[in-house]
Amino acid sequence: MSCWDDEAGGFGAYPQHDAHVLSTLSAIQILVIHDALDRLDVQRVVSFLLSLQNPQTGAWAGDRFGETDTRFLYCSVSALSLIGQLDKVDRELTVNHIISCRNFDGGFGTGPGAESHAGQVFVCTAALAILDRLDEVDYETLGWWLAERQLPNGGLNGRPEKLEDVCYSFWVLSAMSILGKLHWIDDVALMKFILSSQDTEAGGISDRPGDMASIWALSAGLSAGGTVVLHPLSPAGLSLLGYPGLQDLDPVYCMPPAVIEKRGLRKGWVALPRRKEL
Amino acid sequence: MSHGVRRTRQSPQDIEARRQKEASKIQEYLDLYNDVMSKKTAKEWSQEAFDLTTQLLRANPEIYTIWNYRRDILTNGVFTSKTPNEINHILASELQLTLSALRQHPKVYWIWNHRRWCLENTPNGPGTDESGEPGTPNDPLGWKRSNWAKELAVCEKMLDADARNFHAWSYRRYVVASSPDPRPLPSELAYSLKKIESNFSNFSAWHQRSKILPALWEGGERSEQEVKDQELELVKQAFYTDPNDQSAWLYHRWLIGPGSNASLLEQEIAVIQELLDIEPDSKWCIEAIVHYKRLLLRHKVQDADKLKSECAEGLRALARVDSQRRRRYEELGS
Repeated sequence: MSCWDDEAGGFGAYPQHDAHVLSTLSAIQILVIHDALDRLDVQRVVSFLLSLQNPQTGAWAGDRFGETDTRFLYCSVSALSLIGQLDKVDRELTVNHIISCRNFDGGFGTGPGAESHAGQVFVCTAALAILDRLDEVDYETLGWWLAERQLPNGGLNGRPEKLEDVCYSFWVLSAMSILGKLHWIDDVALMKFILSSQDTEAGGISDRPGDMASIWALSAGLSAGGTVVLHPLSPAGLSLLGYPGLQDLDPVYCMPPAVIEKRGLRKGWVALPRRKEL
Repeated sequence: MSHGVRRTRQSPQDIEARRQKEASKIQEYLDLYNDVMSKKTAKEWSQEAFDLTTQLLRANPEIYTIWNYRRDILTNGVFTSKTPNEINHILASELQLTLSALRQHPKVYWIWNHRRWCLENTPNGPGTDESGEPGTPNDPLGWKRSNWAKELAVCEKMLDADARNFHAWSYRRYVVASSPDPRPLPSELAYSLKKIESNFSNFSAWHQRSKILPALWEGGERSEQEVKDQELELVKQAFYTDPNDQSAWLYHRWLIGPGSNASLLEQEIAVIQELLDIEPDSKWCIEAIVHYKRLLLRHKVQDADKLKSECAEGLRALARVDSQRRRRYEELGS
């Protein structure tokens, strides 16, 4: 709560930092997991989030300075959904904006005209799932585009002809899980790739084998113990792939499924069955 | 985030030595950070505060709150006592500063945002009369034209350094769309072509083409088929050069679209088949042919059964040459 920016009515990334939708979603996710929503000034947060949507284009800004990006649309829709205020969203305006960001390859970009990128595919697909508008996704084409992110080394990239990176384990896999197409990639090859990015001496996981471990890639690769990780969009690719011994993950909200189900927010996603061993 | 940094083994002595060196730098940084944050909390809009943000952002351009504070200082403090001409100068130096920051951190959203803000806050001038002639000191949009032109050059530099930088492509689209001088379509097409010719594997440039080409036939100058025929020639060169590169195949998919033109489908299937004859295990050739034959099957075709069995055979071949995705091919074949 020390990150609450009382002037704006949202949360910043750190105490005294300005409110932003990215950190507002994180804060709300944490409050929901700890069953502490009573600490939240719901009216003000709703007001803050809704004020950032452009009433003509439906594009969503991150803060008062106006940068718009489909990531922010997802953060706002997800946050409002988690606090039970989704009905305040102008669904048609929001969905139409997502559609305007859709490309011929089935994927989505940061805004109209932008190329498809796995991160944006995740946020747009998840937002459509929350809004019960997955009918706007071309499952076959997007499923194909996502499956083609897998490289010969088993890792996933975020766009055609780019390098693999462990963080895409989340963006791509979550989207595929929402579309029910996880079986369209080689799960064993991917798990082996993620594990080979593990720094077995110093601990942690890096973005690819041989590179320095980073906290970002670590949360990308694993689903930590029983609690959801610190970063709001922290990946849990291994969990979705059914890696033994891990907790389940709801890919739409990037939260523990039990928490989501309790709030009646479960959408139709499919993870691979949890293996007893790799 | 340290992507792409190779791992090295370090001795305990190395680690300790580095830790000590870093400790004093860290303290310096924290002192600066705390100083700036306390001025921000006090809503101080002074030149001194502004200069401190310059230092802090040079050390760490990713603190979005400090970029916010910097802009607030300009809006609430520095600009309030300046003429439009002076404001324009300050914005020009902001753009210069962020350019150096961008060279080191080409993918930091906050830096790109700051450039947008600078552009958007460019005052009208130097001329004050609406009817002032472009290119003269009477032009009321003179400063804007100049700043916008520079931004296009910045985009080109950034894309020369990394042709796939989507921040730069988005920014380029924004600059073109919001320019005081509408940028003619042929020059945008020429730019994307230049990028493609320097590297066929630039999907970002192919993608850009898919977004700007429709304006050509929507404008009525040329027919859609004429334009697409030319593009088909171009993309054919690309996939013949490197049949393994996904970029050209994806663009080809866009050109064909939902497959409403049966003779075009047949034509392109034949073109790809020629390449497949030379490269019999080419996953992309087989995948494209299967996809286009499936589209063809939606039309009334004489040899439907033959096409179906060819598709089934193609899917089996794909499961063999591209085993990672075999379950997709099996599903399509069922």
